[in-house]
Amino acid sequence: MLVAKDIVKTFAGEAGNAPALRGVSLAVAAGEFVAVTGRSGSGKSTLLNILSSLLTPDAGQVLYDGRDLAAMSARERDKLRATDFSMVFQMHHLLPYLTAFENVLTPFLSSWRPVDAARKAFALECLERVGLADKAERLPGKLSGGEQQRVAIARALVTRPRALFADEPTGSLDGSTGRQIMDILSDLNKEGLTVVLVTHEPLYARMAGRLVEIADGRLAADNGTPAPAPSRTV
Amino acid sequence: MNILTIPLRNLRRKLARSLLTAVVFAVGVASVTALVELSKAVGESLESKLAAYGANILVSPKTETLSVGYGGMALGDVSVDIKYFKEDETLAAIAGIHHKDRLSAVAPKFVLLARVADTPVGVIGVDFEQERQIKSHWFTEAGTLSLDSFGLLAGSEAAARLGLAPGAVVPLEGRDFTVTGVLGPTGSEDDKLLFADLHALQAAAGKINRIHFVEVAALCAGCPIEEITAQIASSLPGADVKAMQQVVKSRMMTVDFVKHLAFAVSGVILLTACVMIGLSIFSSVNERKNEIGLLRALGFSKGSVFLLMHLEALLLGATAAVIGQAAGFAASGRLMALLDLGEQAAPTFDPLQFALVFVGVAALTSLASLPPALAASRIEPSQALVML
Ligand SMILES: Nc1ncnc2c1ncn2[C@@H]1O[C@H](COP(=O)(O)OP(=O)(O)OP(=O)(O)O)[C@@H](O)[C@H]1O
Ligand SMILES: [Mg+2]
Repeated sequence: MLVAKDIVKTFAGEAGNAPALRGVSLAVAAGEFVAVTGRSGSGKSTLLNILSSLLTPDAGQVLYDGRDLAAMSARERDKLRATDFSMVFQMHHLLPYLTAFENVLTPFLSSWRPVDAARKAFALECLERVGLADKAERLPGKLSGGEQQRVAIARALVTRPRALFADEPTGSLDGSTGRQIMDILSDLNKEGLTVVLVTHEPLYARMAGRLVEIADGRLAADNGTPAPAPSRTV
Repeated sequence: MNILTIPLRNLRRKLARSLLTAVVFAVGVASVTALVELSKAVGESLESKLAAYGANILVSPKTETLSVGYGGMALGDVSVDIKYFKEDETLAAIAGIHHKDRLSAVAPKFVLLARVADTPVGVIGVDFEQERQIKSHWFTEAGTLSLDSFGLLAGSEAAARLGLAPGAVVPLEGRDFTVTGVLGPTGSEDDKLLFADLHALQAAAGKINRIHFVEVAALCAGCPIEEITAQIASSLPGADVKAMQQVVKSRMMTVDFVKHLAFAVSGVILLTACVMIGLSIFSSVNERKNEIGLLRALGFSKGSVFLLMHLEALLLGATAAVIGQAAGFAASGRLMALLDLGEQAAPTFDPLQFALVFVGVAALTSLASLPPALAASRIEPSQALVML
C-alpha cells in the first residue's frame, strides 16, 4: 500500500546540515502493524511524517497505491490526510474549547456545510470504540491523559482511514494507560486498519507484527515478513 | 457545526480578550461614526451660524465710489452719488438666480445722511427681518429690539453722542422718528449709525423704491461663492457684485477645518483599531501554532486555515461595526445636544450608510487580518506538532 524508496531528508538546522534520514526504503502492506523504534534523534518521526505526507523528502519517493506523493498537489495531499490517512501524536492536541464529541468531529470543520447526522452518529460510535461514549460532552481539560489520547484516536478514526500513523502515542502516559492505548491500536489493526507506530517501549513494539529499527537515519533492522509482492516491485 | 465553529468557540473561550478587542474596535467605529455625523451637521449648522455674523456678498450700483466720512464716521464704500437701485427689480433679480436656495439673507439698504442736533449722522433704512438674519449679534442696551415704521434703532456710540434714549423723538426729513431701542456695542460701523425702517425712510426722503446697496448672505458649502456672485451679476447688469473674500474664506476655512479635523482623527482611530485587530489575530496565531499544525495534519488545507483565522477577525470586526455604529449615533446625538447645534442638527440613520460602514469595516478587518492569517496558513504542520 505504502512504499518509501531511498528517502533522504535534511533539515536546514543549526548544527550544519546533518541529514535526519539518509536513504531509507520501506514498504508497508495493507493491514500491517509496523512498529518503528530507534534512539532519540534517529529519524523515526521524520520518517513517519514523510510516510503520512506531512513532510516531503529531499530525495527518494513515497508511493501510495502506486501514486507518487510528490507528484500530487498540496491540496491532494491535504485531501489524503482528510480521508485515507490519520495521525495520532504523543500529545493529544485536542482543541481545548471543544467537547470530546466535537473534537472527534474536527476533521469535518473545514467546510461551510454543517456536519450531518450520519457523521455525528459515527463520531459517537468512534468514542464508544475507545470506551468514552459516556464522556462525549466533556471538555478535554476534564479528561485524564489516557482519556484525552483515546479521544485523539477516536478523532483519527472518524474519517474511516486506511492507515493510522501514531508517533509515540503512549509517550506521555503511565504504564497501564499506555497499555490501554496499545490494546486499542492492536484491536483496530486486527479489524483491518494499517498501523505504523513509533515507540520507545520494547514491550509495545513487540505487540506489532513487524519491527523496524532506525539508527542514524538509516534502516538498521527490519524483521518484517516481506510485504505482498506488488508493493515491493513498484 | 461547520467552519464557523472553531472561530466562534475560540472567541468565546477568550471572551475577555475578544470583548476587549471588539470594544476597542467598536470605540474606533463609534468615534468615526460620531465624527462623520457631527461634521456633516456642523458643516451645515456652523455655516448658517457664521452667516448670521455678516453678509458675504455686497451688491452696489456701478459707480465711482466715494469714501465719505462724517465726523470721523466712515460710511464705507457707499456712494452719495445719485446712483440708486430700484428696490423691487433688484430684489426680484437676486431672488431669481439659479442658486437662490443658497441665499440665507438678502438685506437691502437705503442710506440717508442727516443732521441730528447739529451733528452729522448716517441713517440706514433696513428691512428689519432680513437685517436680523445677518446681524444676529445685535442686542439692545435699552428699549426693545424691534423696528416698526417711524421707529429708530440707535447704535451705541451714536446714541451716546446724540443723547438718545428710548422714546426720544428724532426729526428726519421733516418726519418724526421715535427711538425704540439703543443697540449694545458691536465693535462695527453699526455703533455709529441709526437704523430706520426701509420703507418709512424712503417715504420720508421722497425716494420710494430706491435703495443704495444690498448685502447678501450666501451659504457656500454647496457651491463656490464665485458662482453665486456671477449669477447675481448677470441678472443685475447695472450692479457691481463683490464677494467679500475675506469673510468667505475665513468662514469656509472654519468649516473645512472642522471637517478635515474630523476625518484626520477618524483615520488615525481606524488605523489604530486595525492594528489592534491585526495584533490580536497575530497573537492568536502564535498561541495556536500547535492547533493549526494539528488541523493541517487532519487534512485542513492552507486555504482553510487562512479562512479560519480570517473568519475570526471578521466576526470580531462585524460585532464591532454593529456596536460601534449604534454607539456612534448615540454619541453624536448627545454631542450635538451638548454643542447646541440646533434642531436641524440631528444624526440621521441611513441604512445605506450603515451597510457601507459595515462593509468598509469588514474590508478593513480583512485587510488587518491578512498578514496573521497568511502566517497561520504557512505554519509547517510537522514542525508545529513536534516542537512543544
Ligand atoms: N524541523 C526540524 N528542523 C531541524 N531539525 C530537525 C527538525 N525535525 C527533526 N530534526 C532533526 O532531525 C533528526 C531526526 O529527528 P526526529 O524527530 O525524526 O527524531 P526521532 O527519532 O523522532 O527522535 P525522538 O525519539 O526524540 O522523537 C534530529 O537530529 C532532529 O534534531
Ligand atoms: Mg520523534
